[in-house]
Amino acid sequence: MASESGKLWGGRFVGTVDPIMEKFNSSITYDRHLWEVDVQGSKAYSRGLEKAGLLTKAEVDEILHGLDKVAEEWAQDTFKLNPNDEDIHTANERRLKELIGETAGKLHTGRSRNDQVVTDLRLWMRQNCWTLSALLWGLIRTMVDRAEAERDILFPGYTHLQRAQPIRWSHWILSGAIAGNPLGVDRELLRAELNFGAITLNSMDATSERDFVAEFLFWASLCMTHLSRMAEDLILYSTKEFSFVQLSDAYSTGSSLMPQKKNPDSLELIRSKAGRVFGRCAGLLMTLKGLPSTYNKDLQEDKEAVFEVSDTMSAVLQVATGIISTLQIHPENMARALSPDMLATDLAYYLVRKGMPFRQAHEASGKAVFMAETKGVALNQLSLQELQTISPLFSGDVSHVWDYGHSVEQYAALGGTARSSVDWQISQVRALLRAQQA
Amino acid sequence: MASESGKLWGGRFVGTVDPIMEKFNSSITYDRHLWEVDVQGSKAYSRGLEKAGLLTKAEVDEILHGLDKVAEEWAQDTFKLNPNDEDIHTANERRLKVVTDLRLWMRQNCWTLSALLWGLIRTMVDRAEAERDILFPGYTHLQRAQPIRWSHWILSHAVALTRDSERLLEVQKRINVLPLGSGAIAGNPLGVDRELLRAELNFGAITLNSMDATSERDFVAEFLFWASLCMTHLSRMAEDLILYSTKEFSFVQLSDAYSTGSSLMPQKKNPDSLELIRSKAGRVFGRCAGLLMTLKGLPSTYNKDLQEDKEAVFEVSDTMSAVLQVATGIISTLQIHPENMARALSPDMLATDLAYYLVRKGMPFRQAHEASGKAVFMAETKGVALNQLSLQELQTISPLFSGDVSHVWDYGHSVEQYAALGGTARSSVDWQISQVRALLRAQQA
Repeated sequence: MASESGKLWGGRFVGTVDPIMEKFNSSITYDRHLWEVDVQGSKAYSRGLEKAGLLTKAEVDEILHGLDKVAEEWAQDTFKLNPNDEDIHTANERRLKELIGETAGKLHTGRSRNDQVVTDLRLWMRQNCWTLSALLWGLIRTMVDRAEAERDILFPGYTHLQRAQPIRWSHWILSGAIAGNPLGVDRELLRAELNFGAITLNSMDATSERDFVAEFLFWASLCMTHLSRMAEDLILYSTKEFSFVQLSDAYSTGSSLMPQKKNPDSLELIRSKAGRVFGRCAGLLMTLKGLPSTYNKDLQEDKEAVFEVSDTMSAVLQVATGIISTLQIHPENMARALSPDMLATDLAYYLVRKGMPFRQAHEASGKAVFMAETKGVALNQLSLQELQTISPLFSGDVSHVWDYGHSVEQYAALGGTARSSVDWQISQVRALLRAQQA
Repeated sequence: MASESGKLWGGRFVGTVDPIMEKFNSSITYDRHLWEVDVQGSKAYSRGLEKAGLLTKAEVDEILHGLDKVAEEWAQDTFKLNPNDEDIHTANERRLKVVTDLRLWMRQNCWTLSALLWGLIRTMVDRAEAERDILFPGYTHLQRAQPIRWSHWILSHAVALTRDSERLLEVQKRINVLPLGSGAIAGNPLGVDRELLRAELNFGAITLNSMDATSERDFVAEFLFWASLCMTHLSRMAEDLILYSTKEFSFVQLSDAYSTGSSLMPQKKNPDSLELIRSKAGRVFGRCAGLLMTLKGLPSTYNKDLQEDKEAVFEVSDTMSAVLQVATGIISTLQIHPENMARALSPDMLATDLAYYLVRKGMPFRQAHEASGKAVFMAETKGVALNQLSLQELQTISPLFSGDVSHVWDYGHSVEQYAALGGTARSSVDWQISQVRALLRAQQA
């Protein structure tokens, strides 16, 4: 009994086919996205077969014309899938045979679906990198344009979500734009890997390595992490308590219960989707772990991850661009949020410029803060005499400290929040974009 | 310029609506799965409103009939979605409605998945019972260790799956808690009787705190973790069977229904079904990791981020359903090659038994282990199998060896000594089978 083939214990079906297994095994529902690159790859391969003397010129022409027709059907959405079309490669070859006959059977000479599928995926991803790059540049450009137009607006910089020091609003925008820059590095890496001017060195490695997929998923995870942080900032800034910014209605939604609500759903979704993107990265690495050489069906899990993450990135980048380009800011609220105690560091720097070591100056400024709190006055309302009880280095010119404009202007070292430095950042980012698009 | 509303810098669209944002925001594409439970919940809620005096009987009847019609359209796939149908719900308590629907759906889904899991376990136990006499190597570090019953291997995996089936029922308990009637945050001010709602929808308990009720997704995270661990178990069984179906092992052979060929190499018969089961542990765990990341750091109470829960649940549920059914098919149609399994047993795998022999003669185990090791070395040096050492040769290692040592060289005897419950002796295997059957009966009760 144990060695008879066929159904032995229970089982849901009679016969040789398990319809659930067929569906389980089939990848056509998602790898149909690869139709165009599959045709591309097959055309190139048939030219290769001709050069190797395995196809005549006439046969190649037949095949190329047939493949053009297949591509046309896909493009016009008239391609009819067969129940037996397990995947895109099978589907395309089946249709080719229907169109040109037995010659189609020569196309797969010496080729395995293992290298066919990974070539197709690389071709698709190479193109997709351009698409996503363009969207990312669009977002960065929108942010830089905005930063340039709104350079004069100041608001609090935060650490530990506590007001820290006055910064330029544009400085905050640029912090996000610059975080997006690492794509340039990764894209180069990917482009080098996907550069078909180079060939893979080892066939065993070539059919089974999915480093380029893992790297793409990691790139997306890190990019989404950056975007989720920008989203978090804007969500906070759009609360009633902060009231620094207001989202356009196009990017907000209401509540079906509470009529007053205007919710930053767009930002929340951007923030949330970092999870699913990272999940795809973690999931793929788990799938790859421990796989023996060379091709194993497990690798089929790569495509859905790539397509889903690519779609998510595309939507997120476009929505983020829309949010930034339509955002209203409330400069008066931003200004109102600045308070003299945020210039305590400036007070310390004042003493440092008068010759006091920073550690002592920090302590002296701390004492001034404490004194003001005890007296229940703002830091800039301490009299000169009161300050001089803390240090004799204080003199009349300390009044220059109590000016937020002066404060931000001292940070002129490149990368700081002074106007000259912000201008420099803007020009750097624009130059980076130009270089990447070249 | 900075404070004007509307498009300011670049932007892709003119007007007030971003079509990409609409699609981004809309959850209708995946939460339409919830139509049935949504109607269920609405019916219960309208009865609650009636009891609170906020609807007349006539109004309730109208609503109930209308909802029946809505359900019919969904069931017959004639329901037409409007572009403005942002999600499946209408007015009141949308957030609580969403999570109540999800709990209702998941509660039912737990039964569906439980049934599939029990089906798989049952198939494995039936097989184990029928093939109890077949022996083959047990492995550690993928090196042949000791002879075991093939059924013992089957049951090792079945037993892990019984933990999964138990865990799923536990998760179901915490899914089975009613949030409806909580209001969006502060509660429900209209006198709705939550006990009535609970009874109508057959929930086991009601949530205690409305703020927690709208936003906690522990039950989703638990479900995704349950699936991740179950898939890990199944991936390990798959790995074993993939190895056993190699030419080198040749212990088992998959039915053609669960194998595929190669478009290049005509001789190939690949265990794709098993490879896919193994691989999908990745995507399932990915959903678990991804959701925990999404939940991390969210402030109270509802945030749109939580919308990511449903796709995770539906995808993982579909995956589990397919995997469990395919696994059941694989196990029920698997061919085994008992002769190859027997051929893989070798006398050196009885080295531990040789040590036990000395232990039964009074030697401390540590010494016996060493003595057996010497015998193994001696046999290797002489280029003979362990059981071909003569009694004299054995006695040079220890005088405790005598004629009855020949009983050691019998794989059947070997497995039968492991009679302590859980071991590979027939009595213990029978006990395992009855235990697992009893567990299934208790869970299904």
